[in-house]
Amino acid sequence: MFITGKSIPRRTFLRGVGATVALPFLDAMAPAFAATPTPPVRLAFLYVPNGIDMKNWNLEQEGPLGAFPRVMKPFEPYRNDIIQIGNLTNNSGRALLDGPGDHGRCAGSYLTGVQVKKTTIDIKASISCDQIIANKIGSQTRFASLELGMDDSRQAGDCDSGYSCAYTNNLAWKSETQPLPPTLDPRALFERLFGTGLVLSPEAKERQARYRRSILDFVTGDARKLQSSLGPTDRRKLEEYLSSIRDVEQQLEKAEKENVVNPGMDKPYGVPPDFAEHFKLMTDMMTIAFQADLTRVITFLMTREGTSRAYREIGIPDGHHPCTHHQGKPDLMEKVTQINEYHTKQVAGWLGNLKSVKEGDSSLLDNSMIVYGAGLSDGNRHLHDDLPTLLIGRGGNYFKPGRRVLVRKETPMSNFHLTLMDRMGVPVDNFGDSSGRLDLQSI
Amino acid sequence: MQRGRGGAAKPPIGIAFDGDLGNRVDAVLAVAMLNGFSNEGEARRIALSVSRSSLKAAQFADVISTFYAGRAAGGGIGGVGAAREGMIGMPEGGPPDATPPLAEPLARKEADGTPQYTSSITGIVDTAETRLFIRNLLLAQEDGNAAIVLAGPATGVVRLLDLYRAGPQVVAKVKHLVVAAGSFPSGQPEPSIKNDVAAARKLFAEWPTPLIAVGSEVGEALPYPGASIEADFSWSPANPVVDAYRAFKPMPYNAPAPALAAILYTVHPEDGYFKLSEPGTISVLDDGRTQFTAAAGGRHRYLIADPSRSEAIIKLYKEMVASKPAARPGGRGRGNIPAAQDQQQQQVAPPPPAAVKPPAP
Repeated sequence: MFITGKSIPRRTFLRGVGATVALPFLDAMAPAFAATPTPPVRLAFLYVPNGIDMKNWNLEQEGPLGAFPRVMKPFEPYRNDIIQIGNLTNNSGRALLDGPGDHGRCAGSYLTGVQVKKTTIDIKASISCDQIIANKIGSQTRFASLELGMDDSRQAGDCDSGYSCAYTNNLAWKSETQPLPPTLDPRALFERLFGTGLVLSPEAKERQARYRRSILDFVTGDARKLQSSLGPTDRRKLEEYLSSIRDVEQQLEKAEKENVVNPGMDKPYGVPPDFAEHFKLMTDMMTIAFQADLTRVITFLMTREGTSRAYREIGIPDGHHPCTHHQGKPDLMEKVTQINEYHTKQVAGWLGNLKSVKEGDSSLLDNSMIVYGAGLSDGNRHLHDDLPTLLIGRGGNYFKPGRRVLVRKETPMSNFHLTLMDRMGVPVDNFGDSSGRLDLQSI
Repeated sequence: MQRGRGGAAKPPIGIAFDGDLGNRVDAVLAVAMLNGFSNEGEARRIALSVSRSSLKAAQFADVISTFYAGRAAGGGIGGVGAAREGMIGMPEGGPPDATPPLAEPLARKEADGTPQYTSSITGIVDTAETRLFIRNLLLAQEDGNAAIVLAGPATGVVRLLDLYRAGPQVVAKVKHLVVAAGSFPSGQPEPSIKNDVAAARKLFAEWPTPLIAVGSEVGEALPYPGASIEADFSWSPANPVVDAYRAFKPMPYNAPAPALAAILYTVHPEDGYFKLSEPGTISVLDDGRTQFTAAAGGRHRYLIADPSRSEAIIKLYKEMVASKPAARPGGRGRGNIPAAQDQQQQQVAPPPPAAVKPPAP
C-alpha cells in the first residue's frame, strides 16, 4: 500500500458547476500508518419475474457446489462467491383465500413478508426490509437507498386479477401504503447520482445533450488537484473510476441517439431498446453508487412481476409470462429456460464488474450481498416454495459462499431477510412471517 | 349451508393432524379414518405431521399420506398456490425417537429385494417444521373452520404459540384443539404427556382456543377392533396402515384408540357420540399425570365415553378406517387395489401410487 503520510476524508467529492462526483474507496482515505478501514457492506436485491425453470436452476446436492445447471452456468466464474439457498418459502404469496393473483401477491410480499391487500385502490403491504435498513443507516450515505427497474413503473390500475400495479411494479415499500417506484431511465439515474437534481423535459434534455460535455469536464480542476496528492495505486483507481463514469455517459448518449431514431419506442427518453444494454447501464451505475458509497441499499426490479416482455434480442418474440404457462410444452419450456439464462448472463456480467473493483485487499463483490431471485419458483404452477435464491458475495467476509444450503421446507423467506438485516447492522426481532434466522456462516 | 369468504360455500372443517405415527397405532388408524371422512366430504386433512423428532416416522407418515392419494398438505384448499401435497411436518428438536416400532413396514422388501414402501423424504430438509407447516396451512382456512388434532407429544404443536403474530391467527382460524393424550379427570401418567412434559404443560396452560382432551380411558372404552384388520382390507394387498398394525403387537389385539375418538369428535362435535365434561382447567404434574379441575369459564373440557353409543361408534370406526383411498382424476392414491376386487373403481383407475410398489408376481 502506498502511504502518503496524510489521509483524505471518506466523504471527499469532486465538485463543479451543477455536478458532484463522489469518490471510490481509496487507500489514502485510511489514516496514515493505521490499519486499513473496513469497507461498508452493501446490499442489493435483483428480482426476476415469473419464476425460474427450476430443473435448470437447482444444484443437485447440499454442500460444495457441484456441476452448474444450464441457467446457473453463467455464474460459473463466481462459484466461490455464491450460496444457492433451497426451500425458502413465501407463504404470504399464496392465495390464502384471496383467489387468483399470484404475481401481484408474490411481488408485493417479496420484501415485505406480509399478505398484501387485494385491491386496485387502497393498497396495503408493509415496510420492506430494505427500507428498514435504509431508515437506520441511510443517513451515512448520500442516498438512503436506490430503487431501480427496467420495465414498467405504473402505480395504478389492475396488473393481476384485482391486484394493483403498485404490487407488481415495486419491490421497496416505505410504509404499508407507500411503495417506492423504481427509476427506469438511466439518464434520470445518472443525473440523480451526479447532477444538480434539476428535472428537465425530454426536449430540454436533448438541447442540453447537444451541447453537453462530459460531466467530468466540470470537475477537472478538483480531480487534478486530488490526483497530485495521491499515490500511484490510488491514482490508477481514480482514473479507472472516472473512466467508468465516462463510459456510462457514452452508453447513455448512444442510447439516446438510438431512441431518437426509434420514435415508436414506448420507453422513457434515454432507455436503450436493448435489454442487455439497458441492464448494463443500470448496473454500471449501481457499481458506481456502491463504489463511491453513494448508497448501501439497492432494489432492482429487473422486469416487473408478471411481465409479458418479449425477448426479441435472443429470438423470442413471445411474451415471458405466457411462455411460463407452458403446460409442459417443450418449445415454450425451452423459451423460458433461454430467458432465464439470458438474465443470468447479464447478472454474471455485473458480478465481474463488482469483482474487478478493489477495496483494500478485497473486492466490492466481497463486501456486498447481492441477492438474486424470484418470488415464484415454478411459474407454470405458481408455486411459492423453494424460491430460487442466490446470495452472492461475502458480505464483508461474513458468509461462507461456494455451496448450496438447503433449509427445511416452509422456512420463511423472512428468515433470510432477518439474516441480511443483521449483517447490515440493523437487527430486528421479527419480520413478516419470520420464525428465526438462517445460519449461512457455519459450514 | 354455511358460506365462506366471497359467498362461496364453506368447505368442510380442515384438520391439521399431528400424531405420534411411529409409536401410537391409534394415530396411524386416525390418518386412515381421516381419509374416510374426506371421502365422505365431511372433513379435509390439511396438514399431517409427526409428533416426535424422527425421520423414520416422517418417512412412514409420507408413505401413508401418499397411499391415501397425497391428500396431506394442500388437500382440499385448492390447487394453485397451495402448499405442496404430501409434505410432512416434524418438530424441531424434542426427545429423539430413532427406532419407532410402527415404521417397521419401511424395512419390508419385495421378493426381488427392493423396498415395498418408499418415501420421498431422505433427510430433515425434506420435512417442514411443524409449527410453520400448520401455521401456513391454517392461514389458508376460513375463520373458525379449522381444528388441530394432537395424538402424541405436544413438542411441535406447542411451538406454534411462539411464532411471531401466530396467537391471533390461531384464535381466528382454529375452532378447537383436540388432544388425544392424558387421563381424565385424573389417572396414571400417559406416554404422550410423559415424553415431553414441559411441552404438555405449556400447551394446556397457554393454548388460546377451546381445548378438548380425550383421555386414555376413552381409548380403552372404545378400542379399534383388530378383527377389522383381518376382515376389511382385502381391497389392498399392500397397505401400510395394516402392516403397521400387524407389526405393532402380535395379532389379534384390539387397539385402544383415543386418536379415533378425537377425530370423530372433531368431525361430528354436535352429533352426541360423546359426552363432554363441564368446563375447567387441565394441568400437568411433574410425573406426567394430568389433572382436571372444574372451573366456570375454563377453556378445557374432556370427552366422556357414552356406553349407549359404543356400538355405533365402533361400527363407524371400522367403516371409516377401512375406507379406500379417494379416486383422483389421473392421480395417485388408490392403493394398489386389484382391478377384480373393485370393478366400479376400475373404470377410473389411475396407475398405482408412487410410494407403493405393486406386489411381486
